[in-house]
Amino acid sequence: MEEVADVSLILSPQLLAAALVLAAFYALIAIGLNLVYGAMRLLNVAHGELVMLGGYIAYWGFARWGISPLISAVFAVAAGALLGVLLYATIIRRLFRSTRMLARVEANSLLVFFGVSVVIQNVMAVAFTADQRGFSYMDGVLTIGSVRIEENRLLALAIATVACVACALFFRYARSGMAMRAIIQQREAAALVGIDVDRINIQVFALGFGLAALAGTLVSMTAQISPFMGFPFTVSAFVIIILGGLGNLLGSILGALMLAAVEVYGAALISPSFRSILVYGVFIAALLLRPQGLLGRSIAAR
Amino acid sequence: MRLALAFAAALFAAGATPAAAAPPVKIGYAISMTGPFAPAARTQLNAYRLWADQLAAQGGLDVGGVKRPVKFIVYDDQSDFAKAPQLYEKLITDDKVDLLLAPWGTPFHFAIVGVLEKYQFPVVGNSAASVTIRDIKPGNIWFTTSEIPDRMAAELVKFMKKENVKTVAVNTLQLPFSLEVKKFLMPDMASAGLKVVVNDDYAPDVKDMTATLTKIKAAAPDAVLSLSYPPDSIIFIKEARQLDIKSPFQLVLVGPTDYLFTKMFGANLDGIVTMGHWVPNQPKWPKAKAFYNAYMKKYGEPPDYLDSALAWMSIEVLQQAVKTAGLDKAKIRHAISTETFDTIDGPVKFKGVENVITPTMFLQFQKGRPQIVWPGSDATARFEPKPEWTK
Repeated sequence: MEEVADVSLILSPQLLAAALVLAAFYALIAIGLNLVYGAMRLLNVAHGELVMLGGYIAYWGFARWGISPLISAVFAVAAGALLGVLLYATIIRRLFRSTRMLARVEANSLLVFFGVSVVIQNVMAVAFTADQRGFSYMDGVLTIGSVRIEENRLLALAIATVACVACALFFRYARSGMAMRAIIQQREAAALVGIDVDRINIQVFALGFGLAALAGTLVSMTAQISPFMGFPFTVSAFVIIILGGLGNLLGSILGALMLAAVEVYGAALISPSFRSILVYGVFIAALLLRPQGLLGRSIAAR
Repeated sequence: MRLALAFAAALFAAGATPAAAAPPVKIGYAISMTGPFAPAARTQLNAYRLWADQLAAQGGLDVGGVKRPVKFIVYDDQSDFAKAPQLYEKLITDDKVDLLLAPWGTPFHFAIVGVLEKYQFPVVGNSAASVTIRDIKPGNIWFTTSEIPDRMAAELVKFMKKENVKTVAVNTLQLPFSLEVKKFLMPDMASAGLKVVVNDDYAPDVKDMTATLTKIKAAAPDAVLSLSYPPDSIIFIKEARQLDIKSPFQLVLVGPTDYLFTKMFGANLDGIVTMGHWVPNQPKWPKAKAFYNAYMKKYGEPPDYLDSALAWMSIEVLQQAVKTAGLDKAKIRHAISTETFDTIDGPVKFKGVENVITPTMFLQFQKGRPQIVWPGSDATARFEPKPEWTK
């Protein structure tokens, strides 16, 4: 009986919608993580904490002052970007001045940011309590064809899609976007041809952190938030950028779609209890078979 | 002689302001204030803090008939099972506390059992439920809960049979408590003739349940049992509504009793059945409403009908034991093991480590409030089929 149900399940537009919503969140988070990694070779394990911060900004705005999360999203992006700029200007830039320091930081960035991540989570828990929080915003259910979807999810999907497309266009056509890609491909060469690496780095941090905070406000519209919500997103984003290729920004979008598909369709085809096995199976397979990521080109950063 | 009388009178006068005279009773506990379990431990911690406030306002704790001031010594176990026994050992040997309150959650209770045994220190446990508690040697720990998975499974099956459930979908989180409930539920349902039409398990980091819920929707069972914890209970309720799952009996195991769910789902929580054996409006329990009001006043929201209530019950048991037995460990142990305690959840009496009076119950949200709907002997309202989800 279940076999028959499963075939129709795979074709269900409801499943497709679920996968797209998940992919949209993942993509926003992964692009930011990948940008910072690509440009600086720093794996920011605290990236998910920005998602959490974005979620809290939306929650407080809504719960305390009745501000629409759509307006809070603007503040969240600004706050995320500002944090990125501050972090870069106060710490990262200094580290990058000396080659010796740089080598050490690159090697240890995982540990350093892991520490930062734990500190941020627990400072939030102590300062604002560890309560899970949530709010209802635009929670009417729309029926589109055979798909039933909450308005807030559809809205989150739309905003995230627009943001991803805008990023793709920015990287392709805007001067700064091209400069970012140039730095990701060849940091030294980019500097040689006259790109102001320092200025672009600031923009990378601002954009990457802002996107994560945006994702946080969108997530908070559809799920509960807590000081510890960020880390699972960091892990997902990490898997995605390995799938899509380290430093490959469009690959992040593709990787996000893949991971969401593995999660949603894997649950339908095999079993939801296999989620972790599938996700990390794909992750390890990608590392073994295509370490440069799905979209090919290896990035030379030596 | 007159001088001696005056001296005695002065002593009595001093006794009226106890803070000055007797040394404070030291009460210690360690609980998850940071780390992944901190959100869940919060409502229990709130009950502990409310008690501290009340003791301060009442001028202390009644120890064998004498009011003594109290001092709380509190640690954060950082959601780490391994830290709990160390902290409880420190509380006992280093801080030399007189009384201990329990940590949050089943694994933490188990983690400290060895230390309690080593120092022969009695603790009234609360937010722990597993059939394996019966394997613990009785004497230094007791559990106020009545939600032991085997008892719960048997009662749930009886409850579903009474409501004419014939087909059931089960969606289970892969964590010890929910899996234990399922382990007892499946054979009980089979022998009661209930047909399981969907049976999925999922990992704790789940972000989407569309696949399983689409199957459930197609199977249209009489009952859906979401054996879930708060984060995934939220996903279940949101997505069940989104897919318009119409089953008249919908159980969400852990979460709905937390006020967060009322805030998030409002009218959509109505009709949801959940585990729990306490509500403030049970007329048989005169203390219940007072606790509810005090909690409400301090925190501005209702207590968790599960963990806050369990925590408060454990406090009441300890407080009443100390009132008669004083601070002597052997006397406290004897009092807890033999006396019957009057709590916000009615009388509590232990046999071995288990609370043997409080029956296993189920709550259902009706018009925004939880009601006891099972068993009939304790019910505050009748079960109602899940109303339509709001549009």
